[in-house]
Formats: sequence, structure tokens, C-alpha cells
Amino acid sequence: MKAIIATTVFGVIMMFAGLWVNDKKSIAGLATFLFAALLGVTIWDLTTTSVNSPKSLFNDMLRSEHYSLWFNTIMTGCSLLYVLLMGKEVQKVGKYVSEYFALIFFILCGLYLLSMYNNLLMMFIGIEILSIPQYILAGSDKRNLKSSEASLKYFLMGAFSTGILLMGITLLYGAARTFNITEMVTLMHSDALNPLALAGILFIMIAFSFKVSAAPMHMWTPDVYDGSPTVFTAFMATVVKSAAFFAFLRLFQVSFNSLSEHWVMVLAIITAATLLVGNVTAVFQQSVKRMLAYSSIAQAGFMLFAVLAVNAVAWQGIIIYAVAYSVATIGIFAVLVKLKDYTYDGFNGLAQREPLLAFVTTIFLFSLAGIPLTGGFMAKYYVLLAVVQQGQLMWLVIFALLMAAISVYYYFRVIIAMYFKAGTPEISSPVTGGDKFMLVVTCALVILLGVLPQLFLTKV
Amino acid sequence: MDVLMLSAEQNTPFNYFPIALQLVIAVGFVVVMMLVSHLLGPKRKTEDKLINFESGIPSVGNARQPMGIKYFLVAILFVLFDVEVIFFYPYAVNFKYLGKEGFLEVVLFVAFFLCGFIYIVKRGALEWED
Amino acid sequence: MILILLILIPFLTGIISFTTKGDGAKSLGLLSSMLTLAVAAYVSGANFAAPITFTKPWIPILGTQFSLMADGMSSMLCLLTGIVSLVVMIMNVNKPVERAGAFYGFLLLSQAGLMGVFLASDALLFYVFWELALIPVYFLCSQWGGEKRIPVTFKFFIYTFVGSLMMLAGLIYLSLQTPGVTSYSWNDIVRAGTSLPADQQMWLFWLIFIAFAIKMPVFPFHTWQPDTYEQSPTPVTIILSALMVKMGLFAVLRWLIPVLPAGVAYWSETVVILSVVGIVYASCIAIVQTDIKRLIAYSSIAHMGLMCAAAFTNSAVGMHGIMVQMFNHGINITGMWVIVSMIEQRYGTRDMTKLGGMASAAPAMAIALVIISLANIALPLTNGFVGEFMLFNGIFRADTAGHILIMVVAGLGIILGAVYTLNMIQRTAYGDAGSAVVVKDLSVNEYLGLAIIISLILFLGVYPKPLLDLTAGVAGMMVR
Repeated sequence: MKAIIATTVFGVIMMFAGLWVNDKKSIAGLATFLFAALLGVTIWDLTTTSVNSPKSLFNDMLRSEHYSLWFNTIMTGCSLLYVLLMGKEVQKVGKYVSEYFALIFFILCGLYLLSMYNNLLMMFIGIEILSIPQYILAGSDKRNLKSSEASLKYFLMGAFSTGILLMGITLLYGAARTFNITEMVTLMHSDALNPLALAGILFIMIAFSFKVSAAPMHMWTPDVYDGSPTVFTAFMATVVKSAAFFAFLRLFQVSFNSLSEHWVMVLAIITAATLLVGNVTAVFQQSVKRMLAYSSIAQAGFMLFAVLAVNAVAWQGIIIYAVAYSVATIGIFAVLVKLKDYTYDGFNGLAQREPLLAFVTTIFLFSLAGIPLTGGFMAKYYVLLAVVQQGQLMWLVIFALLMAAISVYYYFRVIIAMYFKAGTPEISSPVTGGDKFMLVVTCALVILLGVLPQLFLTKV
Repeated sequence: MDVLMLSAEQNTPFNYFPIALQLVIAVGFVVVMMLVSHLLGPKRKTEDKLINFESGIPSVGNARQPMGIKYFLVAILFVLFDVEVIFFYPYAVNFKYLGKEGFLEVVLFVAFFLCGFIYIVKRGALEWED
Repeated sequence: MILILLILIPFLTGIISFTTKGDGAKSLGLLSSMLTLAVAAYVSGANFAAPITFTKPWIPILGTQFSLMADGMSSMLCLLTGIVSLVVMIMNVNKPVERAGAFYGFLLLSQAGLMGVFLASDALLFYVFWELALIPVYFLCSQWGGEKRIPVTFKFFIYTFVGSLMMLAGLIYLSLQTPGVTSYSWNDIVRAGTSLPADQQMWLFWLIFIAFAIKMPVFPFHTWQPDTYEQSPTPVTIILSALMVKMGLFAVLRWLIPVLPAGVAYWSETVVILSVVGIVYASCIAIVQTDIKRLIAYSSIAHMGLMCAAAFTNSAVGMHGIMVQMFNHGINITGMWVIVSMIEQRYGTRDMTKLGGMASAAPAMAIALVIISLANIALPLTNGFVGEFMLFNGIFRADTAGHILIMVVAGLGIILGAVYTLNMIQRTAYGDAGSAVVVKDLSVNEYLGLAIIISLILFLGVYPKPLLDLTAGVAGMMVR
């Protein structure tokens, strides 16, 4: 709750900072400071809330469960990491640097709402607050036609999915006569299979699939991620996506758990399709940035596992997956923005020119591929554990593992380019000692996540 | 007709049968009309028919070029602040009931909007001349 | 505490090695492998009473622990790893390597991973080491290998990765069946596996076995192997064929046969038939090879097939034979690769049609080649004989139908093995020298490395008792 207020105020401060401060560097410095302060506030929120009794806020519109606050803290930490790694690159996108940071603060506000909502209306508002700044960020490179295209496409698709979401909420309200997701449970349980409720669940599922870019509602993802300025793609593909997943999981876990027999097969098929489309299409990409867009679809398939497995492990799964995936992807994008050429060939010979950059990229890619002792392995492990525990979807587990093997193919292509191919990569901006330090810290985080995942998990 | 009457008596998914029927007929009508006109209508493609229609004037240049959106911006901002005013009506009705706390909340609400307004003015969104 | 040293020494020296420049890495590698061998020798020497264990909490919420255990089989394989690594380091002393720091670093890291695989007694830890042993090898092959190294190694990696992911799914499933909270400790996994109904064991068997089958490799899963062996630099080929394929066999003995007895019983006939088909198939292909490296690669498939067949016949003497043969095959194949690399270095080719006359040009080398080759085809008084004799004995006593036929067909592999091995000796050591290549005989470090191997071959061929004693206890436990 404190974090929601803080992030809004910080956002407004950033907006006004742009009016009176013209120096981009000091704006970025201010933003970094504010993100650190925000992390402090989320930790404060976390420590002042008891583990076992969730606090109800605003007439039960929000409910600050311990794991929600934990998720907030971790995601704010990822945002801080993002700003530290890429603050310099954000300055290069365009004129309105302070506005970009302000928008990121507003996105975080949406994230907090989405992790704590206890009411479908708050969920809706959270999704809107999360999405609208992204439409602007996607189009922030105004001179670039692709960026404008990305923005427009994202906006239209986002608006469309929001419409579907609203329709779903309406139908659910018709069935349960309440917006409150915890009260809804009892009402829907007592009802004998109301078709309105089922239709509502389906609509909401489709809308969320849009937001988390699950196939076949993923079409916007590659174009938007590819067209947006790389720095903002990094944020959209990681923190924002994790937030959407958390909201997805929260609703389906809390409200629709008892009805899972009705929707689980639909979602399982969506998951399988997402894994297939994401992984297979990623194989054929020539641009690493576009490959990462498809890989984010593929990773979304794994995150859907957490939603599929309606059990306690799923919470831990989504949290650890969110953080492992976010940290590694932010790391890769931080390396990517340093390069001029985003194709695989652009990475040729990076190991000779910048050994450290190549090494950390390797670790990040290992993490995304799910090699043990990196965060990605523990993340995949947790979501698999959740689904295996659920018990009925062993076929999907095996299918997902085959797809994970495919993912090795395109992740390792980058490694092969960096280490085993000769070339001189063009670096767009010099890699300073500070950059290197931050990359090493990120890399250490990835490994720490893989070795001691319990540090990042909380009692659910 | 019996079928439809039957469906109205109980609360079952079958209740929605008339709606589904109407949906099928509505969509079917559109599809059929489009198909029929497509198949039966004569087709004459001339160059004049294929160019973009610009009120009878020959088209000039590329449509993709920057243009002033000042009026659009002002209109959007008007909508925003207009909506703000709408919020005052329910507040005015419940003015007494909400009391001091409600007043403070509205002040906060207005203050945020004021921030936005100051921001807009300072950013120069309302300046008409470049 | 001593067990963790086996992993830590190569791991830490490996990391340090990355930072060294020039020849520092070589001496570091040599020193490290000597130390590791000493520890491994101590462990296998002290192992007769009870298994040594080492346990520390790791990720309590997952029920996984950092727990290591060395029984006879584990310590035997650690000893093998130690010996082979040392031989690799010794043989490499006089060979220039590009970016030596990274090369030796990866070698030592893979050694650490292998030690971990052999020692782990926690399923998740086992999985982690299983992957960890693979990654350095991937980099070694892709960076220092032959011409087609990149696609070939990639194939190898994807193959084994698919397998290990399947195994992971199987292990997760098993860990959820453990009584009470989930646990990955070997005892709990065995308890969970054995208590499963037979039909579940049947599909779990393939989920887990496929990883091991790819690693060994068993017949239809072997296609990565000859290419990878051919393209890898020799030290890596040695690591792969002497140690990494043993990972597969070891894993079958430790994580499959005790865990899923009903599944193993149901499928053992299938696996035995596949293995025997593999023996004959690989031997036939080996006969027509002209590239020595490919020839040995196929011969290795044949040998592993025999061991795999014995593993699924459920007889005590067979199991014992596998343990002995794992060690012996590791030693012999190392010797083979060492010789091949020396031939390649001196003649500049591995093509047997272009070789010849080594016996007169380099008599010591030729003698070594003959001894090691004879051990490879299991001539009596060499170490290979003891193992293969026990393996055949085990297959003969198997309780499956048609075991006599299986034994006869597998025996065919021995005869074919003699054919291609002797053919190879004849073509390389004798015959016309061809173009007048001046060939240098062994240098000091090569003498030393080959001396270790040949003395082991002869010693264990005449007096195999230490090896038999070391593994006797474990072999007995494997039988259903």
C-alpha cells in the first residue's frame, strides 16, 4: 500500500523533474535514486505485514498477502537492476528521458495493483495502468517507423484484449453477482455449473493470454518487441510480463481453483501451442532481438505451467520463474544494446573482443535454456514440479521438455557465434567499468538463484 | 414455437437458444448478402476506380507525413478535464455524508489533476504557435 | 569430508586455470590431477568397511541435500577418473595448446562434474553434476575440435540434453512419490520407486533410461558418438569415451536398476536385444572403417553394448563383471586413444590405408599399440579378459529366455573385434612404410603415460583381486 503511493508520487516527481532539469544524466541519477527508495518502501511494506494474516485495504479492494508483497519487492528489485544496467541507454532513446522513467514508475504502480487485487475492478485498473504506459514507451522512438508501428499494434491489440477482459468480467459478475475474487469462490462453488461463469472464465483466460503473449494470441509480440526501442523491450518482456502472469495466476488460483477441471484442458492446449510456436519460430530468426521476442513467448509457455498447476508450489514457481527469467533477460538485453548489429553475425567473435561480455551472456543464455546451477534451471524445475504434482498433465511435461531442448538450439547459436566464430563485433557504446560491474552483479544473481533458490522464495 | 416457449420456462443454457438463433440469422444474412453481391454483381476494374478517393480531386503526394496535431491534443485534454468535472457531481450529492475525510480525498484528487495541468502547461501542450 | 575434496580440487583449480597465462595451466592441471588421484586412491583404499558419506543441507524446501557417498563402485570410478585424468595431463605435457588456460580449465571442470556424478547420492545433485560434466566438454569440443566440430558437438549436446531433461521429469515424479515430504536422497528415491505399481514403473523406466542410453550409447541412440569422437581433440575424446560413457552405465546401476525393479524386469529383454544388436552392428561398421579414430569409436560402442547387456541380465557375476570391465575398458580405451593421437601427430593422418611400418620406425610405440590392442580384444592375461569373461558368464546365467542365443551373438562381437583390431595393427605397425616419413619414437612423458596404462593392463590381467574386492559388495546388492 505504501509502495503504491510511493510509486505514484515518484512518477509525478519524475514528470516534473523533466520540466526543470535539462541534464539527462542527473535525471537518470534521480531516477536511480528513486527506484532504490521504492525498493526500500516495498521492503518496508513487506516487513510490516505479518506472514499469516493478509491485510485488507480499501474496503477489500486490495489484499496484501505476504507473497504479493514479496513479489512486489522482487520485481522492484528487478526494475532497479534494469535502471542500473540500462539507465545510460534510456537516455539515448529520445528527448523525454524523465517521462520514460515516470512511465516506468506508473507501470510499477500497475504491477503492485495486479499483485494485490482482490476485486476484478482493481485487476482491470491494474492491467490498464500497466499497459497504457507501455504503448507510449513502445512508440518512444518517434523517428523510427517500426517503433510507431509497434506502438500502434500494441495499442490496438491491447485495447482489443481489454475489451475481451471486460466482457469476461461482466459475465462473471452475472454469474457470481460480485467482483470480489475471494467471495466469488463460494458463490461459484455453490452454483451448479453456470454457463455464464464458464464463458467468463474463458474470456478472461483469452484476455490474459493476450497480455502474457500465449499462442495463438501472441501475434503482436514479435513485432512489438522487435519494433520498440531495445531498452524498453527489455522491460516489457520481463517485469511487465511477470506482473501479468502473477495476476493471471492470482485470479485462477484464488477464484477458479475449484472449477479447474473445466478450464485446465483449454489452458493446457494453449500452453502446448505457446511452447510449440515460441520455440519452433525462434529457431528460424536471424535477429537476436527477434529471437528473444519469440523466446519470451516460449518462456511464457513455461510460466503458464504455474497457472495450470493449481497448487501451492505454483506460487513459488511463478515467483522464482519471474525473477530468474527477468534477471537473465534484462542481462541479455543489456549486452544487446551495446552492440550495433542485432543479428547472430553481430555477435561473431565477441569472446575475443569483450571476453567478459561474452561470458556473462553465456551465463544468461544458460539460465534461459535451463542449465543447472543457474536461476533458469530452478525456475523450470519449480514449474515442472508444480505440474507433476498436479498429476494429470504428464504428457505436457514431456512435450515441454522436448521444447526446452529445441530452445537450446537457438540460445546456443549465440554462444557459438560469440566463441567459435571469427569476426569483429561493432560496439555501439563503450563498455565502461561500471557496466561491467553491473553485468557481473547480474550474472552473480543468476547463479545465486540457481544455487540457493530458497533465498528468493517465501513461505506461501 | 413450442420449443421456444419451453425454453423460456426454466433457467437452463437452452434459454439462450433464441439468442443463438438470432445471432446465426444476423451473421448469416450479412454473409449471404456479401457473397451474393460479390458473385452476382458485374465487375469492371478501371484505373480510375482503383485510385484512392479524395473527393474527386486527383490525389497528391504521400499520406505519410508529419502534420500538426494541436487540435487533437487540445481535444483530448478537454475530454480528460471534462471527465474530471463529472466526478464532482456524485461528490456534490454526497457532500455532507462524506464529511471532512471525503473533502480531503477530493482535494487530493483535484491536486493530482492540478499537477497534470501544470505539467501540460509547462510542457507547452497548449501553445498554439510553434 | 574427504569426498568433497574429490570435487573441490579439480573445480577450484579449474577456475584458477582460466586466469593463468601460458604454460602455468599445464603444471596446474598436472598438479591438480595428481592430488585428485591421491585422494581417490585413498578413498578406494579405505573403502572396505562401510561407504563414506558426506551430507550438508542444500535446498531444504525441495528436500534435496548436498550428499555424497562413496561405495565400492563410486570409489572405483573416481579412481578411474583420477588415473585417466592424470594420463591425459601427462600425455599433453609436450603438446602445444591454444589458449591453454581455458583448455585445462574446462578439462578440470569436466573432471569435477564427473566426480560429482559418481559420488552424488541425491537425485537432484546427481542431475546437476550430470549436466555440469557435459558443459565443459561441449566447449572443449567446439573450440579445440576438428573441422566439423561445431555442428557435430551441437548434435551431441542436444542429444544428451534431451535425455537428461527426460530424466529430470522422471526424477521429479519419483521424488513426489517419496513418503512424507519430497526427498531426493537415494534411499528415499529407491523406496519410492520400488513401491510404485509395475505399470507406472514401465513408463518411468524409459523416461529415466533414455538419458543413460544416449550417454552409453545403446544402439539406436548412438549416432552422435562416432562423429563426436572423431571431431574432438584427443584429451576430450579420452574423457568422453573412458569416463563419460561410464556415467551412463554407472547411472543405470545406481539410479535405475535398484529404483525401478519391475520396470527393469519388464524391459530388460528389449534392452539386452538392443545392446546385442548394437554390438554386432558396431563391430561390422568398425571392420570397414579406415579412419582409426572412427574404428575405435565403433569398437567402443560394441564394448559398451556388452556391458549394457550384462547389466540387464540380473546375475551377480555379470554385475561384478560390469564393475571390473568399466574400469578396464576405461584404461584400455585411454591407451588406444593415446596411441592414435601419437600416430596422428607423427604421420599427420589417421587413415589406415596411408599408414604402415611403425614397428621398424618406432618400435616402442608399436609394442605399446600391440599390448593395448590385445587388451582391448580381451586376450587372457590382460585386464580385458577378466571383465569380459565375467560378463559372458553373467549373460550365460541370465534367467531370460534365449540367453544362450544372446550370448552367442554377443560372442560374435568378440570375434569381429579381433578381426578389426588385428587388421588395424597389421596396417599401422607392419607393412610398407609408404612415403619415407621419419618417425620419432616415444618421448619421456609418453613413456610415462603409456607405462601407467600398460602396467595396469598387465597387473590387473594377472592379479585382478584388488579390483574384484573393491566392487564385490556393491555387485551383490544389484541383483533383484
